[in-house]
Amino acid sequence: MRVSLAVMFQYRGEIILWAVWGVIYPAVAIAMWTAAIQGSSDGTQIAGYSARDFAAYFLMTMVVGHVCTAWDVYEMGYYIRSGNMSARLLRPLLPVWQNVGDNISYKVLTLAILIPLWLFAAWVTEPRFQTTTVHLLLGVPAMLLAAALSFLLGYVVAIGAFWITKMDAISEMWFALHLFFGGRIAPPSVLPWPLSSVASALPFQWMVWFPSEALTGRLTTEQMIAGIGWQLFWLVVAVVAFRLAWAAGVKKYSAVGA
Amino acid sequence: MAQIEVDRLTKTFRVPEREGGLAAALRSLIFRKYKQVQAVQEIDVRIEEGEIVGFLGPNGAGKTTTLKMLSGLLHPTSGTATVLGHVPWRREPAYLRRISMVMGQRSQLHWDLPAMDSFLLHLAIYNIDREQGRRTLNGLIEMLDLAGVLKKQVRTLSLGERMKGELCVSLLHQPAVLFLDEPTLGLDITMQARIRQFIGEYNRLHRATVILTSHYMADVTALCKRIIVIDRGRLLFDGPLAGLIERVAPFKIIAIDLQRDLDGYDFSTLGTVVSAEERKVTLRVAKDQTAAVTSRVLAELPVLDLTIEDPPIEDVISNVFAQGREGPA
Repeated sequence: MRVSLAVMFQYRGEIILWAVWGVIYPAVAIAMWTAAIQGSSDGTQIAGYSARDFAAYFLMTMVVGHVCTAWDVYEMGYYIRSGNMSARLLRPLLPVWQNVGDNISYKVLTLAILIPLWLFAAWVTEPRFQTTTVHLLLGVPAMLLAAALSFLLGYVVAIGAFWITKMDAISEMWFALHLFFGGRIAPPSVLPWPLSSVASALPFQWMVWFPSEALTGRLTTEQMIAGIGWQLFWLVVAVVAFRLAWAAGVKKYSAVGA
Repeated sequence: MAQIEVDRLTKTFRVPEREGGLAAALRSLIFRKYKQVQAVQEIDVRIEEGEIVGFLGPNGAGKTTTLKMLSGLLHPTSGTATVLGHVPWRREPAYLRRISMVMGQRSQLHWDLPAMDSFLLHLAIYNIDREQGRRTLNGLIEMLDLAGVLKKQVRTLSLGERMKGELCVSLLHQPAVLFLDEPTLGLDITMQARIRQFIGEYNRLHRATVILTSHYMADVTALCKRIIVIDRGRLLFDGPLAGLIERVAPFKIIAIDLQRDLDGYDFSTLGTVVSAEERKVTLRVAKDQTAAVTSRVLAELPVLDLTIEDPPIEDVISNVFAQGREGPA
């Protein structure tokens, strides 16, 4: 992690821009849904969300989205195509641990930029939070589980680069699924059927929507406990998928690029 | 049991191929052709602890592929290998801690950080005792003369400095087996000599087994008593360098500087004329004839200077490749 932080310190401008990028989607979503409510039939809410509820929800997705950020699906293809993966494979440590270090370092480092942005957004949008102590006690672990799930599932998809090598299209598809079914554009509950059914069958809602809903105080204790159960289920699936995919991928590796 | 044992090791790649041009590119969207490339074909090798073995072959011969299988980077298609009692491609941490691979074109150093940060990270990854690690690091810094580059970002280092850094990071955990894939590639003559000297010293001090691939014959002649020649995936020769010369090029090169021109003298009666210029003739003579021919030259000709050498190693190796392509070894 120290090394990951040191690398990021070298590229301050890039880190700032990436951090700000993570705020843009929720900011656009707040503006979009506020406008949609104004045009709705009663002009006060859509699917049980008022303008201030949406503000709270998307403000929370800024935080949760940041905690759940993972980009290995974009980079793995490059490492394998260029042969740079070989240096990582020669170490007596799974390469994934370096990615874990990079991931955590980025999130810690960018807090200094993001916290002021979040506070400013909160001041401007007047969000309505209904958070209690129980919501915090269950919501924070849910957010951390979401981060682990987002990272690991993203890494499993990234391992596809051992077979496909050029992962750009798959990376974008993965990001689109996150955006659409994860709750970054809209809470899954406002999606029309059958999209809402599809969203409930996929793991994405447990990465951003679920912790955000929990931390804004919109879920009951039973719903939060059930949600954490689903997160753990998907985490086990991700761990098993990782072990199988990694073993198969390393066997397939052709160490191109000399 | 040898430290490295390889039995009928084979690696076949399935690679896509197509003609050039847009039409062929469009066709390949639907109809994709593949070709089987046999990079390594049933290689058998035994290497003992402490040996320095040169792996020679033309480009695409299978040298690097073999090294990658032995270092665990690649799974073979068939065959077996054990290195230090481990199956390399199982990639057990206990195995990876005892080997190292330096790839001339690939960097293990962090591009954006000072070299020292990469060294310290390496010590942490390999779980090396702090004090021991520092002693080893300081020793390597001194041997490789790295003191002046420790604080510089790796991407700002010259090729020679970076190569020294790569060697340093590869040896911090004192590996028992070292795979060096073209370690002097692109370096100037002085730096090549230093790297060779360092590798020789490291081998002597630590009895590390070194497998080295190189296109520079000076690397091979300076370091390797034993060489393995491979071409098109097949092993053509495995033995001492002197034995290879004896087998493939059993002759000597005699270079004669004359005091005056000898127009009309038939030098072909002495041996095969390699070159004939004004007052300088180079002959190729069978080894068992060298003494007789030399005596005759000194007796009959106005010799200013005379040297007797083995044929250039590059020519020897080229002959090996040529013979290998004509028929099986």
